[in-house]
Amino acid sequence: MSGYRQARWDEPPIWDLAHAHAPEPAPAIPGVPDRFRRHEGLRWPELSEPTVVRHYTRLSQMNFGIDSGIYPLGSCTMKYNPKVSELLARRPGAAQVHPYQPEATVQGSLEITWKLERLLAKVTGFPEVSLQPAAGAHGEYTSLLMVRAYYRDRGELERRTEVLLPDTAHGTNPASASMAGFVTREITSKDGCVDLAALKAALSERTACFMLTNPNTAGLFESEILEIAEAVHGAGAMLYYDGANLNAILGVTNPGRMGFDVAHLNLHKTFATPHGGGGPGAGVLGAGEALAPYLPVPRVAKSGRRFRLEYDRPRSIGKVKTAYGNFGLDLRAYAFILAHGEEGLRHIARRAVLNSNYLAARLGRRLPRPFRPLVKHEFVLSGTPLKAKGVRTLDLAKRLLDEGVHAPTVYFPTLVEEALMIETPETESKRELDEFAAAVERALDDSPEHLHAAPTSCAVGRIDEVRAAREPVLSWKDLRAGTRADSAKVETP
Amino acid sequence: MVRWISDEVGEEAALLEALGLASADELFRDVPKKARLGRLGVGAPRSEAEVVAEVDKLLERNRPLGRFASFLGGRISARYSPAAVDAIVSRSEFYTAYTPYQPEASQGMLRALFEFQSLWVELSGMDVANASLYDGASAAGEALLFARRLHEGRRFLVPASLPWEERSVLANYASGPGLVVEEIPFDDRTGRLDLEFVRSAVRQGDVFGVLADVPNGFGGLDEQLFELKPTIGDVPLVVVADPLALSVLEPPGSYGADVVVGEGQGFGVAPSFGGPLLGLFACRREHMRLAPGRIVGATVDAYGRPAYTLTLQTREQHIRRSKATSNICTNESLLALAFVVYASVVGPKGLASLQASLAEKARTLASGLGAVEGLRAPRFEAPYLGEFAVELGRGTAAAFLDRLRRRRVLGGHPLADPRPGATHGPERLLVAPSESVGEREIARYVAAAKAWAASGGGR
Repeated sequence: MSGYRQARWDEPPIWDLAHAHAPEPAPAIPGVPDRFRRHEGLRWPELSEPTVVRHYTRLSQMNFGIDSGIYPLGSCTMKYNPKVSELLARRPGAAQVHPYQPEATVQGSLEITWKLERLLAKVTGFPEVSLQPAAGAHGEYTSLLMVRAYYRDRGELERRTEVLLPDTAHGTNPASASMAGFVTREITSKDGCVDLAALKAALSERTACFMLTNPNTAGLFESEILEIAEAVHGAGAMLYYDGANLNAILGVTNPGRMGFDVAHLNLHKTFATPHGGGGPGAGVLGAGEALAPYLPVPRVAKSGRRFRLEYDRPRSIGKVKTAYGNFGLDLRAYAFILAHGEEGLRHIARRAVLNSNYLAARLGRRLPRPFRPLVKHEFVLSGTPLKAKGVRTLDLAKRLLDEGVHAPTVYFPTLVEEALMIETPETESKRELDEFAAAVERALDDSPEHLHAAPTSCAVGRIDEVRAAREPVLSWKDLRAGTRADSAKVETP
Repeated sequence: MVRWISDEVGEEAALLEALGLASADELFRDVPKKARLGRLGVGAPRSEAEVVAEVDKLLERNRPLGRFASFLGGRISARYSPAAVDAIVSRSEFYTAYTPYQPEASQGMLRALFEFQSLWVELSGMDVANASLYDGASAAGEALLFARRLHEGRRFLVPASLPWEERSVLANYASGPGLVVEEIPFDDRTGRLDLEFVRSAVRQGDVFGVLADVPNGFGGLDEQLFELKPTIGDVPLVVVADPLALSVLEPPGSYGADVVVGEGQGFGVAPSFGGPLLGLFACRREHMRLAPGRIVGATVDAYGRPAYTLTLQTREQHIRRSKATSNICTNESLLALAFVVYASVVGPKGLASLQASLAEKARTLASGLGAVEGLRAPRFEAPYLGEFAVELGRGTAAAFLDRLRRRRVLGGHPLADPRPGATHGPERLLVAPSESVGEREIARYVAAAKAWAASGGGR
């Protein structure tokens, strides 16, 4: 045991911190008819600033971040978020700028956007990059809308109705494809990688796109990528790159070089912008010659020494978000790339892959690894041997929380039974890796009773998720309506 | 070399030795030679101090809002955010966390998101809010798809006065399933929605949703809002609402909204050249299992203590894949936290008095501009809060704004769709006095507009 204890405040919800008071009717606004006025007033507590700050500070102490400890969530690339980026993003010249200011007053923002696009074009191997999508899945979706527009222009949309993807694909891939109006078909993997023969058999004149991440979610590099690209293009379809796992191949290869037509990158993964407990993200798009004309507007263009927003893109799909990109994150990513430079970016991939292989080799002695040993940024273990003592991967994950580390991604990819998916980026030291491995080993050796009872060191014990879904209590309004989670009997452990 | 990559003495050698490798390059032997890269050409590494100097040099080329009297608004606003908000969102336990997949270790963010959902439920007058979407426009897009899950049909009606960016985003969200976005005309004098158009469109059939915004794209409050639900019956009503306006206005839930979305950036988040933003989404309880995005629910832990977790996950992409209600994975949790901290620090009375004060500034400006020859301000005869539309009788909006800028006034933003080939109506602006402008700045705007008029208004 690590001696870890998360804070456990008996902190009430914010509305219980104020004296109960009926909401006051909103003031009348001159010129606004009474019919519009909020007669019941807004029901929310009136609190002093110190009360509010103490409340949220206590909540923060019941939350685990990357600064708290290792956070080995597979496919999430939880790396250290450089502090200098936070400083820069808060500069008035960055933060206090409205997107509708005249171009002459936002030359700095436009230049940073333009420069980041140029850098990411080099990283991805595509001629054009757009920063507009707000997150990875948003980038996937935008790309598929572009694919749709491309085939519409060629008169092929009616027959190209299918998007193919491997069974290792992130869940966002099929969900984005459906939203964009395509039918999805999953290709069964062979030894954790795309089965080229199965892919070829599935490709047809109905295929619009094949979506792939490389390295894939099993942590394996799809070595037949060039053959895959040839087969997809041979069928007249597009090849889409899910950039969630780009960290592993920075400077080694890139989607353009591998033959992809379009890609999204997650700035909050590879380029270390903080993920904020679930967001914001930024889902940059890179596109090859065929799809670049369809990128969202505006594009940032340079004329002489001036930068401007370019709307004259007749084939563009239009907009997917208000304003441009998530500039606050773009700026952080720009600082990250400047600091690393060529040498640093290459070092990232080498070290992330070295960390992953080291940890995989050590933990592979304790739990089965379903695929070939050489992995990239992440690896997958199977928790099936635990079943013998009545323990599941979920118990192991909860037990790890008691060690003061975050748990890996669990039960994904689904082709591995009782999966644990582990990613330890380049910012983790060997000491952290060894301590994490030791924590896993201790957890594996622990008694089934302890594993079932975990976690015991977090703000709360094992959470009843089934009850949350069966009898949803989703707001203060539900609590006031007297749902049960409010009045639950409290027992001391 | 950057300090962020772990590079402690001897550790890389030890890692390689454990794997029996001479070099980390051997770990890439599975990448085909033909796919290998030469140099990327991204330049040499820089020290942290050099990075700061370089970025600051670029940022100097911006002229931030503080250098102007700003009347820029629309869905994005530059309000003062109490320092306490940034102090909370700067706590690294919050900002360096991932999505709370392990709820026991992430109670802090889950509880903050539960409070955020509760606040949007109260503001909107709905039953269930999700834990945020990307921005107001994409939230409207999700609302369109949500409405389609509630009702058959192919046609979705939106006001012709809706900001062009939102119309474009909606057209994209509609395009996947082959749906069509149609524009509801408005009355030229008042900007009010043509209710007769809506009624007859619904009667023709095939309408699966109707969207209205409050305030509308011209800043106006449209009394037809209250008539929409009775007019469209069981066709879902989507309302796009401004959260600050809702501190003083009747919640859309009270006049029949089936889903309420909006842009939440104005609560505690800097404009940052347009991102990140905060998408708000709320619906009625009976439809919660069709809602998009993450949702936090209250439950108990093994000891019966209150606890919080992501819930109703069978709607979501990581479980339902192609059958999910949305592809949302990342949302805007940290901004949702800022939203609820901002509202809690400012308080309901503070929010209402801020909205009242912005409305007063808008009225003062409108009466000043109304007297300027060549301007129609406000353009439409409708009640308004903090923003209104201005129409130029001559010249272009760009030339007018340029003239104002020389007097350090950011006079609003043009409402026209800037894409070549877009229908270009009259030259109109949306004008929204920001929280930081006072009588003097308003007078400066009016004086600059008068000077524009005196010079012939760009003729």
